[in-house]
Amino acid sequence: MIWLRERAVLVSAVILAVVVLAAIPRLAEPYYITLVLPAFAYGIALLGFNLLFGYTGLLSFGHALFVAIGAYGAAVLSSKLGVRSFELIVLIAGLAAVTAAIPVALLAVRYVRIFFGILTLAFGMLFHSFLFKFYDITGGDTGIRVLRPSLFGNDFKELDKIAFMIGPFYYYCLALLVVLGLVMWRIVHSPFGLHLAAIRENPRKAQYLGVRVRLFRFIAFLISAFYCAVGGAILAINTGQADPELAYWTHSGELVFMTVLGGFANFFGPLVGAFSFIFLKSELMGATQYWRFFLGVTLVLIVVLFPRGLIGLAQDLWSKARRR
Amino acid sequence: MTAFFDILIGGVFHAAVLFLVAAGLQLVFGVQKIVNLACGSFYALGAYFGISSVNWAIAAGLPPVSFLPVLVASGVLLGVIGPFIEALLRTVYHRDEAFQLLLTFALVLMFQDVLRFFWGANPQQLGNLSMVYGKIAIGAVQVPTYNVLVILASVLIAVGIGAFLQRTRFGRILRATAENREMSEALGVNVRRIYASVFTLGTVLGTVGGALVVPTAAASLDIPVELVVEAFAVVVIGGLGSMRGALAGALIVGLMRAAAISFYAELEILAIYLVVIVVLIARPAGLFGKPVE
Amino acid sequence: MSALIETIGIGKAYGDFVALQDVSLSIAEGELVSIVGPNGAGKTTFVNVITGLLKPTAGVVRFKGSDIAGIGPVMLAKRGMARAFQLVHIFPAMTVAETIAVAVLSQTGKSLRLFASVKSDEALRSRVREVAAIFGLEGKLEAESRLLSQGEKKLLDIASAFALAPEVILLDEPTSGVSSADKHSIMKTLIDAGERAGVKAIILVEHDMDLVAEYSSRIVALQGGKVLADRPPAEFFGDPEIVAAVVGKLVGKLARKD
Repeated sequence: MIWLRERAVLVSAVILAVVVLAAIPRLAEPYYITLVLPAFAYGIALLGFNLLFGYTGLLSFGHALFVAIGAYGAAVLSSKLGVRSFELIVLIAGLAAVTAAIPVALLAVRYVRIFFGILTLAFGMLFHSFLFKFYDITGGDTGIRVLRPSLFGNDFKELDKIAFMIGPFYYYCLALLVVLGLVMWRIVHSPFGLHLAAIRENPRKAQYLGVRVRLFRFIAFLISAFYCAVGGAILAINTGQADPELAYWTHSGELVFMTVLGGFANFFGPLVGAFSFIFLKSELMGATQYWRFFLGVTLVLIVVLFPRGLIGLAQDLWSKARRR
Repeated sequence: MTAFFDILIGGVFHAAVLFLVAAGLQLVFGVQKIVNLACGSFYALGAYFGISSVNWAIAAGLPPVSFLPVLVASGVLLGVIGPFIEALLRTVYHRDEAFQLLLTFALVLMFQDVLRFFWGANPQQLGNLSMVYGKIAIGAVQVPTYNVLVILASVLIAVGIGAFLQRTRFGRILRATAENREMSEALGVNVRRIYASVFTLGTVLGTVGGALVVPTAAASLDIPVELVVEAFAVVVIGGLGSMRGALAGALIVGLMRAAAISFYAELEILAIYLVVIVVLIARPAGLFGKPVE
Repeated sequence: MSALIETIGIGKAYGDFVALQDVSLSIAEGELVSIVGPNGAGKTTFVNVITGLLKPTAGVVRFKGSDIAGIGPVMLAKRGMARAFQLVHIFPAMTVAETIAVAVLSQTGKSLRLFASVKSDEALRSRVREVAAIFGLEGKLEAESRLLSQGEKKLLDIASAFALAPEVILLDEPTSGVSSADKHSIMKTLIDAGERAGVKAIILVEHDMDLVAEYSSRIVALQGGKVLADRPPAEFFGDPEIVAAVVGKLVGKLARKD
């Protein structure tokens, strides 16, 4: 699972995907392109989330907290502090999330399973109520506006919002996704990543092999917070608004949903999940006002019938085809 | 003084309702080790269905005073969905907890639209129907009789559950299965039926809780997701799996909420989460739960 | 030669119940000490004390001169003691190679490397192969642990403990569940592995008195929380009183010979 063997196939598939994604702005309608940006955002966020969930075995029901910190970070920096550089925004929002994650992680890694889930849910909701109640700072339930950032110092003043979003910003986010993806790839294939898997598989045995379980969980938690914040910043810039519902526990639930939809046992699962979920949700919302119901049904099907997600399904079909 | 009493009664009333939901959660967790994220959805279902039931009853000519038993009956009636949902959950019993949580989350999503489908997106309420029972004097204060009745009902149910678990044969089997499932199975217990019964009972507690609250609060689509956090606060403070914990936790949360609303509204819900976090730091097993990793 | 492990007057009481009382012994380099005794004699408690899992209520326990009371499994491993349990512990979804790699990386202090590649670490791979070969698992390096046979899982569990290159290794009934024919070969493999891994002392918790007689350099018998005997095998089995007290309660050919 961790050491993939069909390396050539993998590399080609990734390159193909990047090429297709890069070509989308030329080929598709603006409507679809505007869906891909949130997919990039969630893709990045879920890469981080899955480091904690799929690789370390800790299910957090509060990671929307860090997505929200990323969003509010972008909002505060751009509209209240006049910071327009996207590079700075991503960095600072990410670091803010890591800072917020430190006390949460210190506490949460002492527990596992359901207690970990409830504790992270509580922290997420604590932040949500903080965002809601202290409206002087946070804008209450309307949130805070997010202004267009500059990319590598370039304002792209000549472009209107849509052109900016489906043009330079799109490519920047795609590149960011690729870069952060490569970084995450290295992390999970490193000694650190191997130890995370050991901790997931049998924490007690890992301890007897000298692995400091809590420390590793702690670091994985911080990394996941950073990635979620970057995703949150992109989301907020895309919609132009940071709003408190980003921190609600059901949003955290959606993060888990997306990850499991794609397949949490595979590196690319979260990415597949992000894209699939965004498009599925969009299609459902267009088709019926009861889209939540059908999303729920989808989740039931995944959990009961396809627990390894879409990637697991694809792998099963692939091995069946090879056996013929 | 009256202000203090108002807070007290309001808090205990809220606690009474919370206790029912938390008791349902604790039962299901204690026996089946499943944390039901859809507990709020059951509660909301009870609320909406309760409103409809009362409206039908009154339209059918029943006197307004009968609405309390109608509410309770409608809550109990909803228990029929219990076995069906349990059958769905059965498919993931042997799997990782994450999948169980996700399945109940899927139920939350589905219920949102089920509620919306049957009752629409606007909040519903019963108006001042609870005033039909008038007010009762406790000491120097006047409190709505309805609230007192609900508190009493909740206490009765609490005592009932306690007696049921401790004294009856079925209750003993339940506790045994909660303690050690394999052993129970080996001793011939039909664990499947136990699980179905327990889940249905847990569902009924939630729906009755929701039904009982509607005369004093509106039923809205926000309830399913909001209640979950409060219910979790209760079971964390009280200790996962413990009935006494549900009682203690409900009282603490209910009273805290009432106090916070009166003194510093902003802090209301924040206070609850802070207490949850503090409890988890100081005593992760909660007040009555078993010690954990 | 100074003692590797030293316990002085270890006592462990749970309220009124005394699990251990005044247990003193020392284990030096080159020894293979077997701890024997009926169930309830305090073997597990004692082993938990000398592996830093339990804090004694009385007495001192030292490893390489420093106090290790209650230091926990992680610190224990870092200080150079490894432990393998009776119940097999594996990482189900990880391969044999990955499992051993975790131990090797942990021991060489490379665990926290976030960006180094595991696959291209040649030193790591050869060391993993080395350890696997000692236990006959080199053909199964890429196999997922959960797919191994029960015996292979046991070997892997012990192999990962040896991969830590510990100075002392504690084996909790390593041959339990293994057929009598294989028991001796497993013991020989373990001792051989110990030598090759540079293990300085082995502590064995065993019920099988034949193995104990054959391979130990010393036998420590516990009964009722106290040390009944602490002798080399010849003296141990040569003393009729000890034999009567201990062996009579245990399983083994020797018991039946009397």
